[in-house]
Amino acid sequence: MLNRKIQPTVNPIEHIDRIQAEKRLLSNGIPVFFINAGSQDVVKIDFIFEAGTWFQSSNLIASLCNSMLEEGSRNFSAAEIAERFDFYGAYIQLMADQNYGFANVVSLGKHLPAILEVTEDMLKHSVFPEHELKVLIDKNKQKFLLENEKVRTLCQKKFTQVMFGEGHPYAITNKLEDFDQINREMLVQFYQEFYHSGNCRIIASGRIDESVLNLLESHFGGADWNRNILPVPDYFMSPAPQKYHRVEKLNGSQSAIRVGKMWVPKSHPDYISLSILVTILGGYFGSRLMANIREEKGYTYGIGSFVLSLKYASYLIISTEVGNGYVEPTQKEIGFEMKRLQTEPVSENELETLKSYLLGEFLRDFDGPFALAASFKAINDFDLDYSFYDRYLHTLRSITSEELMKLAQQYLNTEDCYTVVAGSVD
Amino acid sequence: MIVHQDKTTPMVALDVCYNVGSRDEHPDRTGFAHLFEHLMFGGSKHIPSYDEPLQKAGGDNNAFTSNDLTNYYLTLPKNNIETGFWLESDRMLELAFSKPSLEVQRNVVIEEFKQRYLNQPYGDVWPLLRQLAYKVHPYQWPTIGREISHIEQATMPQVKDFFFAHYAPDNAVLVVTGNVEFDQVLALAERWFSPILSRNVKPRNLPKEPEQTEIREQHVIREVPNDTIYLAYHMTDRLDPRYYATDLISDVLSNGNSSRMYQNLVQKEKLFTELDAYLSGDYEPGLFIVSGKPSNGISLETARKAIERELDRMKQEKVSEYELEKVKNKMEANIEYGEMNYLTKAMNLATNEILKDAGLINSQVDFYQSVTTEQIQEVSQYLFRPENCSILNYIAKK
Repeated sequence: MLNRKIQPTVNPIEHIDRIQAEKRLLSNGIPVFFINAGSQDVVKIDFIFEAGTWFQSSNLIASLCNSMLEEGSRNFSAAEIAERFDFYGAYIQLMADQNYGFANVVSLGKHLPAILEVTEDMLKHSVFPEHELKVLIDKNKQKFLLENEKVRTLCQKKFTQVMFGEGHPYAITNKLEDFDQINREMLVQFYQEFYHSGNCRIIASGRIDESVLNLLESHFGGADWNRNILPVPDYFMSPAPQKYHRVEKLNGSQSAIRVGKMWVPKSHPDYISLSILVTILGGYFGSRLMANIREEKGYTYGIGSFVLSLKYASYLIISTEVGNGYVEPTQKEIGFEMKRLQTEPVSENELETLKSYLLGEFLRDFDGPFALAASFKAINDFDLDYSFYDRYLHTLRSITSEELMKLAQQYLNTEDCYTVVAGSVD
Repeated sequence: MIVHQDKTTPMVALDVCYNVGSRDEHPDRTGFAHLFEHLMFGGSKHIPSYDEPLQKAGGDNNAFTSNDLTNYYLTLPKNNIETGFWLESDRMLELAFSKPSLEVQRNVVIEEFKQRYLNQPYGDVWPLLRQLAYKVHPYQWPTIGREISHIEQATMPQVKDFFFAHYAPDNAVLVVTGNVEFDQVLALAERWFSPILSRNVKPRNLPKEPEQTEIREQHVIREVPNDTIYLAYHMTDRLDPRYYATDLISDVLSNGNSSRMYQNLVQKEKLFTELDAYLSGDYEPGLFIVSGKPSNGISLETARKAIERELDRMKQEKVSEYELEKVKNKMEANIEYGEMNYLTKAMNLATNEILKDAGLINSQVDFYQSVTTEQIQEVSQYLFRPENCSILNYIAKK
């Protein structure tokens, strides 16, 4: 007789197959990390430059310089570049974050030669035409105005400003006026200083064979785009003295809340254990914050906590959007859940559930070429190696409730946290 | 039941897709299919919590609701597949229908309503556009519901009725993909799903949207940074042979930076900063939508004329063979990218089976490849008739 009340036997996950990235140097020294995996004839090539906002002298330079890479090069106009990618069903994703500028290419393997030909010209010989720049600036201005209407954007901006101080590159301080102060020369200079072979690494994943590596060598391995590597600038944080901040945004029905504090870097011995602690707090559907504030109280559609690890700083962030009337009760419950982790050991059952869930997630992180590449990037960005994941697995399997409670006492003090609320709270 | 084997992954995906969407709702009780997506995680007849046992088995899950269907999917390490069958079959059998769960999830959905629709710039575009384009067919309301009060007033008896009317083995598709054996899946499906009795779900009988005979236009003023224009044209249903040409028309117009509207109206003439053409994606006759944000100083009137100029060109001239080849290549590459993931495959199989037949997946590429430049022109002439158009002028409050 079928007993529907009893869960079928759960088998532990013992073996986790982890394909590791291999490394090859191009003749000019560019490191290529490659992962040959997957069943489809698809290739992803990520070009990563040390060209994030950390290196810019004023707002918008890093991101606009990066976006302009597809707006015209020595041998291809913007229209021709677009035509080439579209005709072969390939994509290039251009993006700049705090530390890096990315050009991520996805293509069917059979079309890679045609795609890399144009990619080479874009990366090495971008020409920054005025007309395209003007169109791009207008477009981004509109996006900026739209984003500024959202409470979550306003909240996040203010949160980074109070954590780092407005002069720090990890603080987001973009203003509408910035768009009028940008000019072509600033972008060209940034491009020449930061987009060159000495500042580049490549992560290739998918169906990668010798022919792909040869293509990379022939297009990107030459000495023709070597330039001097500039020293990395230093910045100092100047966090706000007050811990509580408000941003007014009238006429909305919801407010955004951010609560958080500085965190340990990825290389710190407590980092992995703490990442497990943060998952218990708000990192999955069954987390404390979700169970209490969404599933029990219904104050929000979603709430989560996570650690944002950047190259030179990490911070913990709890984020949510709630009905205006729920702002105070939500803050109170966030504090309550942090306190509870400091005073009550996590039950055996909860800890076991979490461990199984995270093991399943770990399996997903190493499943498929793109996931494998992302997992590699997550350590390579921080100059860590695969032993990070060995330590992760070991910690996940062995960590106890007592250790988690001690960590919570050390790291999860509400009085250390910054709180920012954006919205129209009455 | 459909099984697809992929031995390259250590995982399995289990997808249960119910043939119920917001089109099946009563006009005075909208948002139910989506509310159910929430209630389905509030425990079932024999299992008080859905998430916890799934997490114990290393699983993860999610769901989505559309106007046409509701799709529930989970992934698990392959040796824990049976937990998926246990959970999914019990909630097909019967939900717990707990009162506290209904009360809390009502509130969560109301906050979702605010977060996605009310408290977002341009958040009410879809509801407005649907109301303008559909006068009779239930596509006139969005999945979240026509208004918050429908969710607020949802009662337990209504919830139960809706469940037993639509959530049933004779109204669902089960798809399993990933690292599985067919016989193993068959045995598990027999064990867990076979005992659930059919509920004689009534065949769908929805009112047909009458042909639109004159242009419709609406103006609204909202606190947003920019004016935006939306043009919605009635198109064919998803099974009509003209669907494939319709899809490619939207690609010729706006898929990628080399597309016509982007090159001509955004780059060359600088009339817009954003301009897109896309399909609503519905199974029954849906909408072909063009939306654009005019550049500073460009009126909505000028913007509309510029869009209509491009649409007229589609009607008057055939697209070049090169242009057609380009959008077909792109379609083929996208289908190939989608094949990379076992979960995407499961969802595609499930949603196509609800539509008509999972086997459609195998002929998609051929259907797209067989579209001709003549068909593109013919379908454009059918689509882009002024009397077939609903225009929404979304004006920024100064």
